[in-house]
Amino acid sequence: MNRERFDAWLRNIYGTQDEEISCTECFDLVSRFVELETSGRDAVAELPKVKQHIEQCRACRDEYENLRDLARFENEGGAPSLDNLRSSIR
Amino acid sequence: MLSMSNERTNDEWLHDLNASGESQEVAIADLRDLLLRAALYFFSRNLGDFGGLNRDEILQRAEDCAQDALIALMDHLQDFRGDSKFTTWAYKFAINFALMSARHERWKGVSLDELPFSNEGTFSEWALQDKSDGIAPDRSALQNEVRETVQDVIEHDLTDKQRRVILMMVFNEVPMDEVVRHLGVNRNAIYKMLHDARRKLKSGLQARGFEVGETLALFSSQG
Repeated sequence: MNRERFDAWLRNIYGTQDEEISCTECFDLVSRFVELETSGRDAVAELPKVKQHIEQCRACRDEYENLRDLARFENEGGAPSLDNLRSSIR
Repeated sequence: MLSMSNERTNDEWLHDLNASGESQEVAIADLRDLLLRAALYFFSRNLGDFGGLNRDEILQRAEDCAQDALIALMDHLQDFRGDSKFTTWAYKFAINFALMSARHERWKGVSLDELPFSNEGTFSEWALQDKSDGIAPDRSALQNEVRETVQDVIEHDLTDKQRRVILMMVFNEVPMDEVVRHLGVNRNAIYKMLHDARRKLKSGLQARGFEVGETLALFSSQG
């Protein structure tokens, strides 16, 4: 583990809270979290436990980031079409 | 251009999906397209995970993810509270399956019992090999103390299961869903083991006087 990764892990360790939500609870709330974010509201203030979980959990963070980006595309009317996506797979 | 699926309101989605006959069939077909789009979107950003597959196989994986997501979503349709757009709520099911599929493809040939960091000697090897060059001696000494503390907590305070999961996920960067598959438990159980381990590591560091700000500063980018 290089220093950069150890540094990131230390941040996770120090960011640990006594009570954290589970991956299932995060999955349940993440669409609301993204909805708040994409509508310009303060998602972190309203759902701090989701923010804390996605900082700690790589799997949930990956899902969140993709969901956020898709939701943004859709809100902006730029969601990629199936044909475009299919041709982006090579 | 917006597709049909984007033109339904949340209520219309629920109404059509719960209807019968043609309006339900059309809604399910639209929903399936929407889920396929999310799966393909994830795959297109993670093509590196599919090195061993050709294009048709990847497209088929995306179809499989969309189908699995459709089944899971319909099972949970009554859980939709309307606190987000229906499409955002739906996308997460497809992304969840797409992520599992992509990570599994990347890791499928790897034996999780034979990882580089997988035994008792791992931590002392890690502590020794991770010396950084060009750092002031006093800072380097403090960094070593932090590493030794972490090593000590891992070796003495964690349970066997916690230690095993830390080794896999933190030291070997195995994705959570592969650990889930390997150990035969769910994500929540793995998350709990990691959480409990972090709590022990945090209190172990604090008990030895390593408070958050100064400790993180020791490892942040060097000036």
